[in-house]
Amino acid sequence: MSLLGQVASIVLNGLQQGAIYVLVAMGLSIILGTLKFVNFAHGALYLIGTYVGMLVALEIRVGGKLQEWGYTTLGLGWGFIAALVIVPIFVFVVGILMERFIARPFYDRPDTDQILLTFGLAIVVQEVFRIMFGGQSYSFELPQSVSVPVTVPLIGSYPLWRLILIGITAALVVTVYLLIEYTDFGLVVRAGTADAEMVRLLGIKISRPYILVFGIGAALAGVAGVVGGPLYAVNPSIGMEVLVPAFLVVVIGGVGSLTGAVLGGVLLGLTQAFLTQFTLVTPWFSYSLSPWSQVGIYVLAAVILLTRPEGLLGSAEVGS
Amino acid sequence: MSDDARTDGGTTVKNTTALRERYDALKGEESTVAVVSIIGLLAFPWLFIEAPVVSGFLKGYESLASLILIWAIFAIGFDLLLGYTGLLSFGHAAFWGTAAYASANVSAYLTGSPLVMVLLGTVIAVGLAWLLGYLTLRRGGIYFSILTLAFAQMMFYMSSSVLATYPGSKTPLTNGENGFTGVSLDPLLGMFELNREMPSILGEFVGTWHYGFIAVFTFLAIVIAYRILNSPYGLVFKAIRENEQRTEFVGLNVWRYKLMSFIISGTFAGVAGSLFTIHSQYVPLSSLYWTSSGEVVIMTVLGGAGSLFGPIFGAAVYLWVENIVSGMPNIGAFWHLILGLVFVVVIVLVPDGIWGLPDAVRRAWGYISNLGGDR
Repeated sequence: MSLLGQVASIVLNGLQQGAIYVLVAMGLSIILGTLKFVNFAHGALYLIGTYVGMLVALEIRVGGKLQEWGYTTLGLGWGFIAALVIVPIFVFVVGILMERFIARPFYDRPDTDQILLTFGLAIVVQEVFRIMFGGQSYSFELPQSVSVPVTVPLIGSYPLWRLILIGITAALVVTVYLLIEYTDFGLVVRAGTADAEMVRLLGIKISRPYILVFGIGAALAGVAGVVGGPLYAVNPSIGMEVLVPAFLVVVIGGVGSLTGAVLGGVLLGLTQAFLTQFTLVTPWFSYSLSPWSQVGIYVLAAVILLTRPEGLLGSAEVGS
Repeated sequence: MSDDARTDGGTTVKNTTALRERYDALKGEESTVAVVSIIGLLAFPWLFIEAPVVSGFLKGYESLASLILIWAIFAIGFDLLLGYTGLLSFGHAAFWGTAAYASANVSAYLTGSPLVMVLLGTVIAVGLAWLLGYLTLRRGGIYFSILTLAFAQMMFYMSSSVLATYPGSKTPLTNGENGFTGVSLDPLLGMFELNREMPSILGEFVGTWHYGFIAVFTFLAIVIAYRILNSPYGLVFKAIRENEQRTEFVGLNVWRYKLMSFIISGTFAGVAGSLFTIHSQYVPLSSLYWTSSGEVVIMTVLGGAGSLFGPIFGAAVYLWVENIVSGMPNIGAFWHLILGLVFVVVIVLVPDGIWGLPDAVRRAWGYISNLGGDR
């Protein structure tokens, strides 16, 4: 492969990896920015998205308690498109219920209590899935039509699904951006971020936009679960594994900033892809950087935070 | 979190006041704490393993008793940070795991003396706590929690790949996914085999040198934590928890106290991690994973953050459920779910933890009996 091809391949892989981070981080960031609520259970929404998506799209052979209770295969088998439609709606509802019954009573409690509560919740959700479906890994198989490789200039063949994934993410990013920047709903949300009390004094019932923001954030995590699920083995710990990088994206991008979340996500994705694929070749030795691929994103985050504690696109005041 | 519980406890019943005062005075003495911990640590194995009725229900065994004490030390240290300084770290696995690996390396390549292992393991943990504290404490509140989590995960990934062997050789440093297996222990002070029973009555009732060794560290942890918390220095920690800005305005260097609190907490985690190596003679990679950080968070909060004995109690409950309840028929498979649900319930209803339950009940009772009263 030519050098240019190598660069293009790193960029594509980076965008694909970054897309998952962006989808999860966007929800985290708008919830944190507007509602000032820290959601450690956001990874659990990703987890729910993947499992529900798998159950809608396929019929899977289940383990765990479900197997003990006499189910061998479970799932609707309606296909992948159905999963892409149903899961966001389902997780949206889960998000709304979560806002109403779990987050809202905790808005007045200290940050640490919010973190602890949602952390506990994340464990509960993860354990429910582990008990029901067993701890083993499932494979979320894509339909034939999108799992075939296509020819991309410079690189050669590249899995079609990964390209679609990047496309879906880009479309969602634009949609959410337009929603926040150019609608009345977005105006109230942005005003609430700046000064929630003032918005209330103007006679606007802010709890309704808030619940929607939470639902949208949750739905985005759900979509991430469906589109990202097929790329990796599906097991109960995927939620927490995607949550930590997503948090990093939020922190380095700047809380509440959508563009920050996108920038941070792409940056982490590119870093990871670069380290995975790059091998340092000198006349004397060659050293593959791939063991550093996971470590690298944390180092990058550390460097950014040391130089700009409020994040790349965050306002200084949020960082204090 | 529970310091002010006694003052707003509602009604006072007159004829018990004198008794109550004597009890409170005794409760506040440092020597009382020391004596109570010694008695507790000596009686614990017997109660847990041999005592009639109680042990039949608890089904304890000595190795679990030692493990509980180790995690208790960890939780006490964690509570200094969360319960007293008000900082919620999600990355304490970094200190626990690093100390465990460090002491394992000491035993494999340097000396198997348990005391040296604990000493060097702790020193490494302190150094790491200094570094990570310096990086993570730049941002407060939720960012601190996220950053500690992130850096601990970084340590995890480094240990799983890059640091699996010493750079440029095949000698295992963390041994990656398989965990470090080459731990070899020498007798304590060159005389006492850790897995032998202690002499005479101590051996009869308490158990092996192994338990004794860990119990001594637990005792020291309790007494030192008590001393720190009741010193003017510890008072500043509580002041930071209550109101950081006001503490700053009084003229105290908040940043320095926070860093120190973080380091002290990391020290406790380091001692506990080193003891864990001695206990299990094996260091799994998961000791650096976020689940270990999560476990100590749950133990501390479940038992009662902001109290000295709460976290110890929390550690005991957690490990008991993890090791004993998980083996029970029917409910065994649900042990982790049960802990998660109890944890959520505790946070919603009793933020002071199980240890703060009596105070919460007393407060509720005082509130109820005041309802028809003189308001």
